[in-house]
Amino acid sequence: MKVTVCIGSSCHLKGSRQVVEALQRNIADHGLADTVELGGTFCMGKCQQGVCVSVDDDFFSVSPDTVDDFFKNTILARA
Amino acid sequence: MNNLCADIGYKSVNHYGEQLCGDHVDIVEQDENSTVIVLADGLGSGVKASILSTLTSKIISTMMAEGLSLEDCVSTIAATLPICSERGVAYSTFTIIHLIGNETAEVIQYDNPLLILLRDGENYDYPKTEMTIGGKKIYRSSIKLRENDIFVAMSDGCPHAGIGTAYNFGWSREDIIDFMATVSVAGYTAKTLSTMLVDECYKLYGEQPGDDATACVVRIRKREPMNLLFGPPANRDDCDRMMSLFFSKEGKHIICGGTTSSIAAKYLHKPLKASLNFESSDIPPTAEIEGVDLVTEGVITVNRVLQYAKDYLADNKSYEQWSMKRDGASLICRLLFEEATDINFFVGRAVNPAHQNPDLPINFNIKMNLVEELSECLKKMGKRIKVSYF
Repeated sequence: MKVTVCIGSSCHLKGSRQVVEALQRNIADHGLADTVELGGTFCMGKCQQGVCVSVDDDFFSVSPDTVDDFFKNTILARA
Repeated sequence: MNNLCADIGYKSVNHYGEQLCGDHVDIVEQDENSTVIVLADGLGSGVKASILSTLTSKIISTMMAEGLSLEDCVSTIAATLPICSERGVAYSTFTIIHLIGNETAEVIQYDNPLLILLRDGENYDYPKTEMTIGGKKIYRSSIKLRENDIFVAMSDGCPHAGIGTAYNFGWSREDIIDFMATVSVAGYTAKTLSTMLVDECYKLYGEQPGDDATACVVRIRKREPMNLLFGPPANRDDCDRMMSLFFSKEGKHIICGGTTSSIAAKYLHKPLKASLNFESSDIPPTAEIEGVDLVTEGVITVNRVLQYAKDYLADNKSYEQWSMKRDGASLICRLLFEEATDINFFVGRAVNPAHQNPDLPINFNIKMNLVEELSECLKKMGKRIKVSYF
């Protein structure tokens, strides 16, 4: 599974760093380093909905507050 | 003409408790072929010394740049300087470095610590001719310039550093040469080298300098072009034109901005790989495109570069930050401040709708101001700047 987080200007200001760090922590805690490939990308063209995250080809809008739920409901569910 | 150029930087610390510096550095770049640098140290410290050294350096640099003889300069100074009421003398020592055609340096020294010349990282003992003008003993040298030559001019506050505290007799010339030779090979800019020297003096003085201390460094180096792309063009149809102009330029290529780098990646038919490494910094991570030397985020990164640039021109306090760290802004700083001499900016005027949000500190006007302010700062660092808008 490929999870991509936008690290462009808008998403950076909306907290992409916290999102990345939370995802890295969650992935490590659940021992998913081999199943989940976490990557960065510049602008996905949906800045209004930032922080932009894509899981394979599906788009998600995540914030530092919702990132733990997002991990549980989306990534864990698919893993 | 050759492809050498001079990187000139200086820094002073004031006598403890003084608001003015009694040393003064004046640089007159008459044209591309002639630059006059004067470091003058006025008698004493404070206001009087400041006036003496400012007058001396201004008079000499202006007269030399206009092609008048050294004899005329010295006699003018002798006749002009106000006489100190306590000491009954008008006195300011000086070191003149006149760079001609980036091929020769005419060095004229009067009573300042002897100029240090580092060639290939080692002390080079250049020939000096002694002459007497108006009762003053003056040394004159003519030095053929080579790439990587580093000239270090100082006021006597530098070798006097640490007298009675760290050292009995101050910081000896030999030790200063060793210190500068060690740091000179790392590729630091003239400004950073002079800052390191003066910072070291400040430490040796126990942070209470007993004299004004100034270092002026001139680094002879090759011209190095650099190109920076920032922002997509206002008209999408101009993308290919902008990219082909940018990539056809000689020198390294830096791309700032997410959308901009996607356009470049598409143009080059290479993947854009963003890293997730935040390098313990609040600057967004960098990315990679094969064929591009550096890819970073846009506004936030460039804004930080501008902050560093302003500091560099003022106190140069944050050089320890950007000269070591690996975040996008620090990497750009090292390329622009240290490596580049000629910088071409390719600036796109596209408005990013996502940035026109009053909650975000990054709208279009800010972006355009960033480029203008940054190019002003870089010009003050002695770089040649060309900005093209698309």
